[in-house]
Amino acid sequence: MHLDDRLFSDKKLYLPLLAAVLLLPWVPMGLAGPYVLRVATLTLVYMVLALGLNVVPGFTGLLDLGYVGFFGLGAYTAGLLTVHYQWSIWLVLPLAVMNGVFWGVLRGAPTLRLGDDYFAIVTFGFSELIILVIRNELWLTRGPMGVPGIARPDFCGAVLDQPWQAYYLILFFLLLVLWVVVRIRSSRLGRAWFAIREDEIAAECVGVNVANYKIIAFALSAAIGALAGAFYARWFRFVHPDMFKFWESILILCLIVFGGMGSISGALLGAFILIPLTEVLRIVLPDSLSNARYLLFGLLIVCMMRWRPAGLLPVEKE
Amino acid sequence: MLTAIFEQSSLFLQQLVNGITLGSIYALIAVGYTMVYGVIQLINFAHGEIYMLGAFLGFSLLSGFFGFGLPFGLAVAVSVVVCALAGVLLDIVAYRPLRRAPRLAALITAIGMSIFLQNLALLIWGGQIQSFPQHTIPPFLGEPALLLGDVVVSWLQVVILTTAIFLMLALHLIVHYSRIGRAMRAIAQDKTAASLMGVDVDRVVSYTFALGSGLGGAAGILVGLYYNAVYPTMGYFAGIKAFAAAVLGGIGSIPGAILGGGILGLAEVFGGGYISSSYSNGIAYAVMILVILVKPTGLFGRQQRDKA
Repeated sequence: MHLDDRLFSDKKLYLPLLAAVLLLPWVPMGLAGPYVLRVATLTLVYMVLALGLNVVPGFTGLLDLGYVGFFGLGAYTAGLLTVHYQWSIWLVLPLAVMNGVFWGVLRGAPTLRLGDDYFAIVTFGFSELIILVIRNELWLTRGPMGVPGIARPDFCGAVLDQPWQAYYLILFFLLLVLWVVVRIRSSRLGRAWFAIREDEIAAECVGVNVANYKIIAFALSAAIGALAGAFYARWFRFVHPDMFKFWESILILCLIVFGGMGSISGALLGAFILIPLTEVLRIVLPDSLSNARYLLFGLLIVCMMRWRPAGLLPVEKE
Repeated sequence: MLTAIFEQSSLFLQQLVNGITLGSIYALIAVGYTMVYGVIQLINFAHGEIYMLGAFLGFSLLSGFFGFGLPFGLAVAVSVVVCALAGVLLDIVAYRPLRRAPRLAALITAIGMSIFLQNLALLIWGGQIQSFPQHTIPPFLGEPALLLGDVVVSWLQVVILTTAIFLMLALHLIVHYSRIGRAMRAIAQDKTAASLMGVDVDRVVSYTFALGSGLGGAAGILVGLYYNAVYPTMGYFAGIKAFAAAVLGGIGSIPGAILGGGILGLAEVFGGGYISSSYSNGIAYAVMILVILVKPTGLFGRQQRDKA
């Protein structure tokens, strides 16, 4: 049985993992405590992103090079609504997700007939356009000044201002997203996606409505990206166009390539290893080298494709 | 009234000159994308980085970054040759092992190489914008070659344009009248059939990378001189614009890439001048997306056969 199927059914697997992530904020770590918790929260954000991106290249086999567009869209939607109207995160977040779905479908609909490399280029161009609009429409987004002073997340009227509270909040979202993708993976919808991934024409011939199922994948993927963005904006309390550069898309892609495209546990493992690693590199390397740490990601992608294209936790071939 | 019209038209002419210069550079880069795509159906994302490498090599050889300086012409020639070799090496190390792998694997590898090379340049040369030392550039390049009223055509623009035209003509002759060019066209039509006819596919692909990368490196030096700025991310935007040009012209078609480069250069200069300069990069993205969605074969592209 594949690891992905056991995530929610094998008690021996999920109980220790769940205990570990739940107890993390209470492990005494002295002065390093707040920092470790910050990195852990960031790692969970990237786990959500990796799961969301995985839906399109991993499940349907179409390379998405613009995932950061939805991350940025969610972050800016949530950030601006919060700054202007002081709404609760529980209202802002669904709105950000809906905005993500809207653009995800709008982007996806014209690309249905495109082959793999043209699809990749359109996704890339689309996300660059989103970020370009964010950077230039000062009346809406304040452009390169960024949006500072976004309120922290809240729950039942109380502000979640402790680091562990934000950690538990993103953990809740991660488990929600994880549950959704694991359930979908073994549903009729998931099987349709895998059929499209393996052979689109064959899938169409046996009656899979390729267009509909692709649109659902785009919508779900965009929704998850926007969700992560909305949380990120409320947690980091600042958004800026430079936070959503093309390299972020590649970093998220790197997470799922490393873990294994299409593999849910692989996406989690990829984020679990690589995100703390980037943070460690940022500290360990001198300034001149730390700017070039993406060099390792480039090399990692190339080496994975060369020697282990299915990733660390590959999806088994049926 | 008359002077106003004259001023308008001289602005227009100046933009036209600048647009054609920029377009000829995009065309030089776009040819590299389109040739590689024509032969192995791979979008070589790292091509923009080869162009960046050309600019940095030119800069380093002229300014004595490596401890010695070369005269102008020699520095340009050495950089172009090194870029051509770098392109061949890139193919052998990164892409050749994946020739039989799914296309997605090669595409992801190309992106990985692009990031790797860009950050390698960051590591070697640093992130700040560098400019060519004044004494290393032949002084006549900065002077006007042609003055038509207010319209200035600098010698550098003339050099860029003539170099581009010369290189394109050379490329045309190689592709259409040489043995290796015939082999390239044969592989582009049908790789299996060509190899059955005795064409050494790997060797021809190496030549393709060498030609494309050499042109890309030449474009890098020309742009480095034109804007007098060299920096590690310069290959990123130029690469995208050139790719958009290749798509516009019909990917796989060399005349298409040249025409596409010209159109995109003009669109960028006029769009930046008359519509909005902050969206000048956006024009390339928009053109690219629209062409792919509306007419994926571009202006001159061939219809791709679907897998049966």
